[in-house]
Amino acid sequence: MSDPLLELDDVYKSYGEEQVLSGVSFEMDAGDVDVVIGPSGSGKSTMLRCVNRLTEINGGAIYLNGECVTDADTDVNELRKQVGMVFQDFNLFAHLTALGNVTLGLRKVRGIDKAAAQEQGYEHLEQVGLLDQADSYPAELSGGQKQRVGIARALAMDPKLLLFDEPTSALDPELVGEVVEVMRDLAAEGITMLVVSHEMGFARSAASDIIFLDDGEIVEHGPPEQLFENPQAARTGEFLSRLETTHEGE
Amino acid sequence: MPPLPLQSDWAFVVGNLDLLLVGTGVTVALTAASILLGFLLGFPAGAVEVYGRGPLKRAVETAGVVLRGTPLLVIIILLFFGLSVSSSAFVTATIALGLRSAAYQSQIFRGALQSVDEGQLEAARAVGMGRLQAIRSVVVPQALRRSVPGFQNEFTIVLKDTSIAIVIGLGELLTVGQNLYQGGQSTAALEIFLTVSLIYFVLTFVTNRSLDYVDDHFSIPGGERA
Repeated sequence: MSDPLLELDDVYKSYGEEQVLSGVSFEMDAGDVDVVIGPSGSGKSTMLRCVNRLTEINGGAIYLNGECVTDADTDVNELRKQVGMVFQDFNLFAHLTALGNVTLGLRKVRGIDKAAAQEQGYEHLEQVGLLDQADSYPAELSGGQKQRVGIARALAMDPKLLLFDEPTSALDPELVGEVVEVMRDLAAEGITMLVVSHEMGFARSAASDIIFLDDGEIVEHGPPEQLFENPQAARTGEFLSRLETTHEGE
Repeated sequence: MPPLPLQSDWAFVVGNLDLLLVGTGVTVALTAASILLGFLLGFPAGAVEVYGRGPLKRAVETAGVVLRGTPLLVIIILLFFGLSVSSSAFVTATIALGLRSAAYQSQIFRGALQSVDEGQLEAARAVGMGRLQAIRSVVVPQALRRSVPGFQNEFTIVLKDTSIAIVIGLGELLTVGQNLYQGGQSTAALEIFLTVSLIYFVLTFVTNRSLDYVDDHFSIPGGERA
């Protein structure tokens, strides 16, 4: 049996006294789209950030393609070349155009020359439907456009795994759709994605698995049908019903 | 049009305008050299204060506090008459003004670097850039833009403070003016110093306008003005 693409093995993380992750374990295979849900402060974003080591774990281990990436001697830059990230607040490089955002990593990290990087950059902007905005600066783009540039920037590095940290939470409701649509396309293309999000439409239709995280522990982990229609744990059911109430209220 | 009836004191100023212009040239050269030295030392110092740690950071911070806490007049006298760092008044004045400016420029850059959102560095690191590379390619270009207004201020302060070099006899603009008056050749003190003031004003005005242009030229489209 081949190794899973990503494996978290009994991962612990604390900030001082505050325990954020308490023994989180799960696996993802290539092509999987796992959606992480859970209450605010449950450790979802922290867990995601541990995977590309923007946050360092205190215990356990994380494996990418069977290789431990949380050893002290792991080259974090090599790891991050293989794991792309999309941020809640976009974090687009403010001084660069959309194209510049997508090509900076190609040029500085991959060492590709400008012309070739731009050619690839245009392809990725086209992939997220923003070819016509290549020369726009982040401040000239809408929130939805910014996030699509953020996705193109992550895609450009040709990662084995894409992390999404609440990609639609900072968006006006009418702009969520365009971002979710791009994510759906990527899922359909077989790109491996680990997504922290409460976009239930996306979770239901695109997710291979749903991971419900509460208080730093995985309470329930299973296919969307099971989690949404027939949750095994009481806490999962409670959380989902609260989520539905909130969304109906909108 | 009849010739302008120049009073003799104004005529004296006009007659010695060439000397004043030579002094102006020295002032401009001293300003440029001091600002350059201040930038070359101050920019890395600001970066060390933000990103450095340990003894280097403490040394830089201490040097800054000492330099900012010492009157420029004291620094320049100490360097020239006390430590005799150079027999050249121009070199000594450049070092004094440059060191003092470095101490202030470091704070301009420190503030600008700190004002760049942390997410920018994080996003660059997430793409696989090393820390230095990320700072250089993503944070510094934005911080430099944001430091233009502070730098503009510092530039005009240094320009005017070059006049302090009068105490070590450097032939800059104020010294030339003073010599004209003190040589006993004329009683035109008011006229001379008004002219000197006007020249300083023109220099600061032109400098400010030029840096406004730099600010506009490099501002990020759609973004906040630097």
